[in-house]
Amino acid sequence: MPYHLFKCSECIPERKKHAVIKGHGETLADALPLGYLNTIPGTISERGCAYCGAKHVIGTPMKDVIHMSHGPVGCTYDTWQTKRYISDNDNFQLKYTYATDMKEKHIVFGAEKLLKQNIIEAFRAFPNIKRMTIYQTCASALIGDDINAVAQEVMEEMPGVDIFVCNSPGFGGPSQSGGHHKINIAWIKQKVGTVEPKITSDYVINYVGEYNIQGDQEVMLDYFKRMGIQVLSSFTGNGSYDDLRAMHRAHLNVLECARSAEYICNELRVKYGTPRLDIDGFGFEPLAASLRKVGLFFGIEDRAQAIIAEETARWKPELDWYKERLKGKKVCLWPGGSKLWHWAHAIHEEMGVEVVSVYTKFGHQGDMEKGISRCEEGALAIDDPNELEGLEAMEMLKPDIIFTGKRPGEVAKKIRVPYLNAHAYHNGPWKGFEGWVRFARDIYNAIYSPLHQLSYLDISKDEIPTDKGFLTQRMLSDANLSEEIVSSSNLREYTGKYDIISDLRGKTYPDFPAPKQLSAV
Amino acid sequence: MTEDLMKERIAQLVDYIMKKCLWQFHSRAWDRERQNAGILTKTMQILCEEPVENQTPADRCYWVDAVCLADGFRQKYPWLDSMDKAEIKILMQGLKDRIDFLTITGSLNEELTVPLY
Repeated sequence: MPYHLFKCSECIPERKKHAVIKGHGETLADALPLGYLNTIPGTISERGCAYCGAKHVIGTPMKDVIHMSHGPVGCTYDTWQTKRYISDNDNFQLKYTYATDMKEKHIVFGAEKLLKQNIIEAFRAFPNIKRMTIYQTCASALIGDDINAVAQEVMEEMPGVDIFVCNSPGFGGPSQSGGHHKINIAWIKQKVGTVEPKITSDYVINYVGEYNIQGDQEVMLDYFKRMGIQVLSSFTGNGSYDDLRAMHRAHLNVLECARSAEYICNELRVKYGTPRLDIDGFGFEPLAASLRKVGLFFGIEDRAQAIIAEETARWKPELDWYKERLKGKKVCLWPGGSKLWHWAHAIHEEMGVEVVSVYTKFGHQGDMEKGISRCEEGALAIDDPNELEGLEAMEMLKPDIIFTGKRPGEVAKKIRVPYLNAHAYHNGPWKGFEGWVRFARDIYNAIYSPLHQLSYLDISKDEIPTDKGFLTQRMLSDANLSEEIVSSSNLREYTGKYDIISDLRGKTYPDFPAPKQLSAV
Repeated sequence: MTEDLMKERIAQLVDYIMKKCLWQFHSRAWDRERQNAGILTKTMQILCEEPVENQTPADRCYWVDAVCLADGFRQKYPWLDSMDKAEIKILMQGLKDRIDFLTITGSLNEELTVPLY
């Protein structure tokens, strides 16, 4: 598994150990990209900061909370109405953004008074919201404002409110991953165990590392509820602040994104003895195995199997319709952290695409171990890539599509490679059985967009064909398919609704009475 | 069974675990040792029809991964049915040694020895 030095990075030789090509017969013990290190000076990284990781990824999906940044207003860029972690309380956490608006004079004279004034103003402006998280930024960390003391003072003056302080300034780690770590540890130290929940089931879980992107968490909650499982808290998508204070009472931590939230599961295991079960919510087979494992743990495997059978029967013919049309298409799987391993094997197996490259912006070496293991031979794995390396990789690999964030995604478009937003999705949710079909549909729509076909022609030099007229996706995708597949009555395109989340919110679930206990005679 | 055949079969099982499982990649060496031993021992016990401890929460968590792994192995590798229990034990010990090497002793992951989570 040779290390790979991009031509564009020859002037930054340290970059060589951040990329490998998975070779024939080679293993993880032969080569592994370095990871979670400070970005090398001179390489223009695509990473976020530790404040971003703490607030924008993990903190803010909590739905019933005022999320206050103690710093310049610019730190809240990329929050207001741009994130897609929705919630069932009218997206309160997305609709309003708060910052103390620190300026130069506060750097000189301190900003604790300003912070206190902002906290009180915000609680008064939203009298129904009694919970707040305050996020430290580089500016407030460097001047040494004691945010915890101010929060404590306000909690004493305003009975009924509760405040969580997250000290994760932007410089607090090599990437956003440093912020994930800090907020995990801060939450368990400050808040877990401070609320006693009402237990309503014999089967109680925390659903951890799930951020409800376009409704992912609500899809999974639906499965758990159909199994009669009480989801005590969701860390943190669509999660409630007080529910998350009660995490210590769950019987099992079901962990989705280990990159961002394994820390709290590990600490819950050490402190409360709650086991951690890592699952994959993406892909029919991985999801089925995941539901089955949760069912097995509680002795209710039959309930999981019933859901798996029903959902597979409903959605598999639609997944297979897309698989026939996506077979062999080359994908660069370039997400932030966990999706390279959640998706790498599942999209290859279940959608027929070839993953020619994986990268991670903020993953650790453990994520690369998982991602490389799940790729086929020949895949190029890159840690913390820069824009030029991304371009060089696309020129070398000639992918049909890339899955990445919106910034590198726009770069890909410029060289006429379609992209899907791996972080926030296009037409999600993508989790769950139906969600996986929606993902396949988005891939299909991107690859076979007639608009993209037109973009391959350069009107300044290419001959523009005049004998071809109107094109549709089907004309493009079905051109080389056999008649048997094209006219198959077993396969069909996606037939679900535009919005699949609203109905879940009003759904009622069966009662599963507890098994009768034999009384002692 | 020849040594080469045993090696080939272990390689197939390793590939299955690497492609479909996550439990082998916990973040620290001591975690991985515990995970590999817990799950692969129980998988061996299931395949050899031996009793399996699954009463404590931790054991139960290993057990669910072991049940799914044993089912997956049986489904994908019909040659398992032709092996007797003594051979399965040798196979599973070889598998554990290989997984331990790839994820712990031979791993290039520099975070495995970090003292805290």
